[in-house]
Amino acid sequence: MKKVQFSRPLFPYLLLVPQLSIIMIFFYWPAAEAIRASFYLEDPFGFGSTFVGLDNYRDTLSGSEYGRVAWFTLIFTTLVAFFSLAIALLLAVKADTVLRGARSYRVALMWVYAIAPPVAGLMAILLFDQRLGPFTHMAQFFGWDFTLGVNYWDTATAMVIVSVWKQIPINFIFFLAGLQSIPRSVREAALIDNPNGLSRFFSVTFPLLAPTGFFLLIINITYALFDTFGVVDLIHKGEPGNNPVTLVYKVFLDGFRGGDLGGSSAQSVILMVLVLILTVVQFRFMERRVHYN
Amino acid sequence: MADIQTNSAASTVRRPRSKPIRWGLIGNHAILITGSLFMLLPVLLAFFTSTHTDVTIHKEGVQFFFGSEGGSNYHDAMFKKGGFSQNVDGARMMVNSLILGLGFAVGKIIISMMAAYAIVYFRFRFGTFAFWIIFTTLLLPLEVRILPSYEVVQSLGMLNTYSGLIIPLIASATGTFFFRQFFRSVPEELLEAARIDGAGPFKFFVDILFPLSQTMIAAIFIIMFVFGWNQYLWPTLMTTDESMFTLVRGVKQIMQAWVGGGNDIPEYSGAMALAILAMAPPIAIVIFFQNWFVKGLTESDK
Amino acid sequence: MAHVILDSVRKTYPNGYKAVHGADFNISDGEFIVLVGPSGCGKSTLLRMIAGLEDVTDGEIIIGDTVVNDVDPARRDIAMVFQNYALYPHMTVRQNMAYGLKNQRMSKDAIAERITEAAKTLRLEEFLERKPGQLSGGQRQRVAMGRAIVRNPKVFLFDEPLSNLDAKLRTQLRAELKALHKRLSGTFVYVTHDQVEAMSLADRIIIMSAGQVEQIGTPMDLYLQPASRFVADFIGSPSMNMLQGTIGADGHTVDMGNESTLRFAAPIDAQPGTKVDVGIRPEHLQATSSSAAQFGLTVDFIEQLGADTVVHGKLTGQTDPLTLRLTGVHSIATGESFSLHSALENIHLFDSATGKRLN
Repeated sequence: MKKVQFSRPLFPYLLLVPQLSIIMIFFYWPAAEAIRASFYLEDPFGFGSTFVGLDNYRDTLSGSEYGRVAWFTLIFTTLVAFFSLAIALLLAVKADTVLRGARSYRVALMWVYAIAPPVAGLMAILLFDQRLGPFTHMAQFFGWDFTLGVNYWDTATAMVIVSVWKQIPINFIFFLAGLQSIPRSVREAALIDNPNGLSRFFSVTFPLLAPTGFFLLIINITYALFDTFGVVDLIHKGEPGNNPVTLVYKVFLDGFRGGDLGGSSAQSVILMVLVLILTVVQFRFMERRVHYN
Repeated sequence: MADIQTNSAASTVRRPRSKPIRWGLIGNHAILITGSLFMLLPVLLAFFTSTHTDVTIHKEGVQFFFGSEGGSNYHDAMFKKGGFSQNVDGARMMVNSLILGLGFAVGKIIISMMAAYAIVYFRFRFGTFAFWIIFTTLLLPLEVRILPSYEVVQSLGMLNTYSGLIIPLIASATGTFFFRQFFRSVPEELLEAARIDGAGPFKFFVDILFPLSQTMIAAIFIIMFVFGWNQYLWPTLMTTDESMFTLVRGVKQIMQAWVGGGNDIPEYSGAMALAILAMAPPIAIVIFFQNWFVKGLTESDK
Repeated sequence: MAHVILDSVRKTYPNGYKAVHGADFNISDGEFIVLVGPSGCGKSTLLRMIAGLEDVTDGEIIIGDTVVNDVDPARRDIAMVFQNYALYPHMTVRQNMAYGLKNQRMSKDAIAERITEAAKTLRLEEFLERKPGQLSGGQRQRVAMGRAIVRNPKVFLFDEPLSNLDAKLRTQLRAELKALHKRLSGTFVYVTHDQVEAMSLADRIIIMSAGQVEQIGTPMDLYLQPASRFVADFIGSPSMNMLQGTIGADGHTVDMGNESTLRFAAPIDAQPGTKVDVGIRPEHLQATSSSAAQFGLTVDFIEQLGADTVVHGKLTGQTDPLTLRLTGVHSIATGESFSLHSALENIHLFDSATGKRLN
């Protein structure tokens, strides 16, 4: 914080009132409610609820359905994070090297950021359509009978492709900014010390980009876990039954469609813990990074 | 004479032959162009397709060129009443999207600037406590507490209202975090100079801090507007009244009509036109204000 | 105009760090005081306490005839010039200067008049409508001074105002500052870590180390009669030579080892056998015939500065470094030896253990 600060008796509290009241009503209250509900079994007809301790957690975690969804989420998250980071890094490195058209490339690679995931999902339904979609035609050309919304893994493929496509811009923007913040003198020193471009990249540029990369990794995991909701919701065309869904989607399904308030809340709490761990890891790491600087 | 000497000296210098073709450079451009096309093509195809009749699309598949129906398709997408209740059109949804995007961005900026100002520039009891209360919200995205949030909003009677749509989305500290980072980067001496110049907290904010924050505010505004405009899950739950639908929320309705349409030819072009309408404003803003947007993203997320 | 009194002023930060251990001094009306010391010695904290930017933990600060401990900075009738200028980047030069006066609800005409006058003094007339970003470092510094001058304060405070400028500009602005002080005849309190700046600007210097005031005096007091080894070392460039010695049995002599002895007329204020540091400035050593020699120097290398020649070497037969400054150009070879002599009044004795002056 600042060394010199104002000290006024009332003013800072007044400034904080709007933010704090919104947070209390729309964050802490629901979050507490989610935790509370996860220990209760709601009567399906709305006649009160009974305390069941950890039963909801046990039921959730022991269900084979949950394991399946968790596995898919893990695979999905890994693939989305890996491909969107790798492609974005490649593009950022190239965009950082070329002089001519650098600005146009930057725009061309970042504007997709502004497209909402469900809108991307809607386009995907057409582009991957079994009869009309060019991607399907291409897959058929290679002998892959691609059936979106029918075959579990075909749907999963489409989900991954759309999610990666949606996430490349933000990774690209951060990688490019990271590359551009590497001091000119360091690059020049490396240029003199090492004639081999590829080895120079891996011995100098890549380590210097590591903090950005780590930050993005967390962002991408969070994205794949939560922000892909719209993509998932659209691509299986309203039939989640035999199609892949992620953990967050299952919270929504069980809570709103299935009416299983306790189970859905327990899943929410499990996800909260997951995000908490991710965030703590991120803060830990950032603190260390600040320290090094 | 000196010239002759240098020339003769130069003739003994080894010179690499002609300039080599720079394959590396060509490769770089090839990769970048491929990447750009990968980003662009899906949207381009959706756009081309949206300018044909549904029958053409149904017969021939996704279109690769402009069609002749663009004008009427987009006119229908904007103004033809549709939906279950037959009283909502694209224009209405666009207005709702705008209200959500603007309301969210403006509300968030005002509220988080106030909070960040208190946290950074004031010494007061519970200051640290307030800080933690606020920043804990960064830990849990709306998605993991969606059901109870819905119930809270329901019990407050805010379903199908703009405030119910906007305010719960503001309940996270991202904006406050942005502004806190920015305020901390403002040189301390400015506050000291201002105090010697007789500026109190209010004057300092109005005369010095706010003018200095303008770029930052613009950057955050763009990010928040796009974020608000693109909200999907929350509006999907919150709004059951079709006249409250946003464009992005409407996407689901389209999909369901498409899938559940039975033997009719689905309204492919209408769907794609709506998709284009739903993405055009945020894309325009991001491209138009790209410098602010990039600055806002990369400088505050640290 | 006003005098400033600090009465056992202490500063302890909330984390327990003691920045100032107790400062006691009076600054007279119209005096140019320089607070000098290495970074972290508490000089800036002291200045900021006078400005009201830091709370005073203990003691009193009096400006004019008011105890200002709890007075808001804007009401202390002071002005401050910051190291990094602290100009409001979004305001023009004119607006920067006017801001404080506007907050005092001064009339527009009066403000304009003051700005015109200050701008004339500082040769800023043509920059008044520019923003700080369009000015050079020296110009920004002058704007910062202008912002202070227009307030017409009782006390001017300067926090290392020249340290972001290059050497040439620094010398030039130093002269301008001195002239400004004469002209305004205000009380100036000036913080710097640069001893040359302190020596050339100050009426009196307050030299600080580790939160303590080491010595207060005119530049020549500090140069000729440093109160401690710290002051002796800090003032003067190249710094004072420090040789090891022991007080002799009769209390008048210092045994330098190496069979040489310094005999002082007045008794030395220490027990026989006390270890002492014998300080001699490089410019106070003279080459001499071997009979009058107090020290021998073996040359390692020399620096030719044109006006001076600085000879670096070692005390002959020992490892203690010794520096000698000769006026003019001399050609001296490495390995050459000198016999050196210094007048006794230019030899300073400090207790090796406490660093306090003994003679």
